Amino acid sequence: MSILAHRDYRAGQTFDAEVVVVGTGAGGAVAGAELAEAGRDVLFVEEGGYHPTSSLNPYLTESIPRLYRDAGGTMIMGRPPIPYAEGRCVGGSTLVNGGMTWRAPERVLMKWETLTGQSDLGPRELAPFFDRVEERIQAKPQHPVSVGDDSRLLEEGARRQGWRYEHNRRAQDRCVGSNQCLTGCPTGAKQSTLLSYMPRALSFGARCLTEVRVHKLWVERGRCVGVIGKAVNPRTRRCDIEVRVRSKAVVISCGAVQTPYLLRGHRFGRRNPQLGKNFLCHPNAKVVAIYPFDIHAWQGVSQGGQIREFLDDGIVMAENAVPPGTAAAQIPFLGEEALEMMKHYNGMVMTGVLVDDSHAGTVTRGFDGPLARYSINAYDHERFLRGVRLLATLHFEMGAKQVVLPFSNMHIANSVDDLRRIEQTQRSRSTIELFTVHLMGTCRMGADRRSSVVNLRGELWDLPGCYVADASLFPTAVGVNPQVTIMALATMIAQRVKVPN
Amino acid sequence: MVISPVLQRHPDDSWTLADPRTVSQRTHRVFLALADAILPASPRTETTLGDVTRHALVCLQYMPRSSAMALVAGMRLLNWAPLWRFRGLRPLTRLSRGDVHRHLVAVTQSRWLPVRALMYGPLGLFMSTYFDQDYAHRALDYDPVPFVEERIELRRKWLEGEEPGADQEIHHLPVVPP
Ligand SMILES: Cc1cc2nc3c(=O)[nH]c(=O)nc-3n(C[C@H](O)[C@H](O)[C@H](O)COP(=O)(O)OP(=O)(O)OC[C@H]3O[C@@H](n4cnc5c(N)ncnc54)[C@H](O)[C@@H]3O)c2cc1C
Ligand code: SF4
Repeated sequence: MSILAHRDYRAGQTFDAEVVVVGTGAGGAVAGAELAEAGRDVLFVEEGGYHPTSSLNPYLTESIPRLYRDAGGTMIMGRPPIPYAEGRCVGGSTLVNGGMTWRAPERVLMKWETLTGQSDLGPRELAPFFDRVEERIQAKPQHPVSVGDDSRLLEEGARRQGWRYEHNRRAQDRCVGSNQCLTGCPTGAKQSTLLSYMPRALSFGARCLTEVRVHKLWVERGRCVGVIGKAVNPRTRRCDIEVRVRSKAVVISCGAVQTPYLLRGHRFGRRNPQLGKNFLCHPNAKVVAIYPFDIHAWQGVSQGGQIREFLDDGIVMAENAVPPGTAAAQIPFLGEEALEMMKHYNGMVMTGVLVDDSHAGTVTRGFDGPLARYSINAYDHERFLRGVRLLATLHFEMGAKQVVLPFSNMHIANSVDDLRRIEQTQRSRSTIELFTVHLMGTCRMGADRRSSVVNLRGELWDLPGCYVADASLFPTAVGVNPQVTIMALATMIAQRVKVPN
Repeated sequence: MVISPVLQRHPDDSWTLADPRTVSQRTHRVFLALADAILPASPRTETTLGDVTRHALVCLQYMPRSSAMALVAGMRLLNWAPLWRFRGLRPLTRLSRGDVHRHLVAVTQSRWLPVRALMYGPLGLFMSTYFDQDYAHRALDYDPVPFVEERIELRRKWLEGEEPGADQEIHHLPVVPP
């Protein structure tokens, strides 16, 4: 028995392990694999299903409910509301992510060091963890055979503007640019945790319970001694079989929205006022350019590089080709107009502006799920307007005939002149359309219990035996793709987990 | 061309897709009316509307109950758009496709964010399913399977030691435009 699913569970079943890890994404798989490699008996509990590479395919219809939380229908409430996506499957969001691997910039880690007053989260201490992670997930630049024309076009556009463009390093082994990263890599090249850390953990004896949603911690005499969950019936989607896991230590790695949701279901003495605060999400605005010639952005790796000229202002721009179903859901047209627009799909270059959060939202418990709240502030809004204008300008200078802008009251620009209207028409934060895939920071790590949720070992201040290892640990936003930073922190925490005899 | 088993639309990895959520006849009619007006009139097959609305009901099963209920309630509210837009007394289910379409376009372009937000769910659910169908792909001249198969084969050879050459690079633009 290594990987179990709903059909394998019996009512009232209790599993035993030394360490139970909840979640198999960037944080959980890494922490669990490191612990297993160190000789611990590890049991993963994962809400989603196990989908091997051979089952991954380019179709959205089944991939979305199979691989994404809530069939992709997750939303952060605020002004504006921000749809977000996260993985729900073995591999978590790494199975559906773009594979980009950027370390948190040095200035961010210096800030973490200052905020915590300890060097643990500083660039020097974290460097060996980053090295180890990058080796395991094979982070490296792309081979030319995998790069598509949308990436080349953006790179050339940046060069003409005199902007810094950097090629991505990605978690991949011989990526051939099939551009299916968002529905799971069907070639086996992307080193999501499904292919990197999970097989490693299993080879060291770890076990994995899939299709089980953990809804409670098992607490005895003030110590966390396991988790209680329910198996999700794949056909009815009802949680119908209770599954318990008893362990000596518990690692929660459900991601920055689900982890605080789970933890907020308990009262451990005092309520930690920081739990669920500091919710960060790197919002993104889409800028879709339509060129009068075919580019076939759907061929070639989804993102070859990033425009990093404005990184110090917290703005990153990049291309990110998505399948027609996703593109059509984002364009502002219906019926025949939508089809007319989508007929230009082969000439579309889908790009985005990412803005690094200057403030934070919250995650609390809603009626039957988490409630994430976040509104952009005036400074972030202004950076979005600037980023969108600059990126759209690049497209026009590269020959685009039209650009679809992320503003509900000004969707189409037909020339650079039209872009001058952005600042006049976009006075309200309600008209900008954003989305995100980077969720961070709701259980921040620190050296002071008043300003953090977990200590520098990753253990909850208020619940011994319970550790957190996922994106929720971040004290601030990183401003770049977060997965390697999450993995580096999870590696560090795995070394610090104490397993009592 | 034989589609390789690794790229099946309904992959057989012993994982089952959920049964669609059960809704009342009336709600189902609202789904159909909205889908009909949101999707292009052609290309379609005889089963397009049924398939797209069924899949929307499957997707609702993957959401927390409250989100699914809010989505359904939002669609029911949309059905009465003529009334709250002061443009008529009859719901969308009783109007022609053209009229429904006009109402929905107006809602999509509303100045009020909560009104526009009513369209997020239906647009996301129906458009993403429709534009994932083979006949819609053909209308866009988009055909991912042969390309992905060719790439899988390329990687297989690479794993066997045959590093791809410049002739395997992806180029559609003769040169980057001037
Ligand atoms: C579409 C997309 C593209 C992205 N692109 C990139 C990129 O290119 N580079 C990059 O660095 N980052 C990228 N990211 C972000 C990155 O993948 C995430 O930040 C990272 O995976 C988060 O790690 P995590 O461990 O916090 O959560 P996740 O990786 O999301 O893992 C959480 C896991 O916990 C499980 N879980 C949650 N609640 C429970 C519960 N109660 N019981 C049992 N299991 C539970 C979930 O099913 C999931 O498998 C992308 C994300 C997405 C969605
Ligand atoms: S581009 Fe294709 S081959 Fe490369 S990692 Fe993504 S899905 Fe895999």
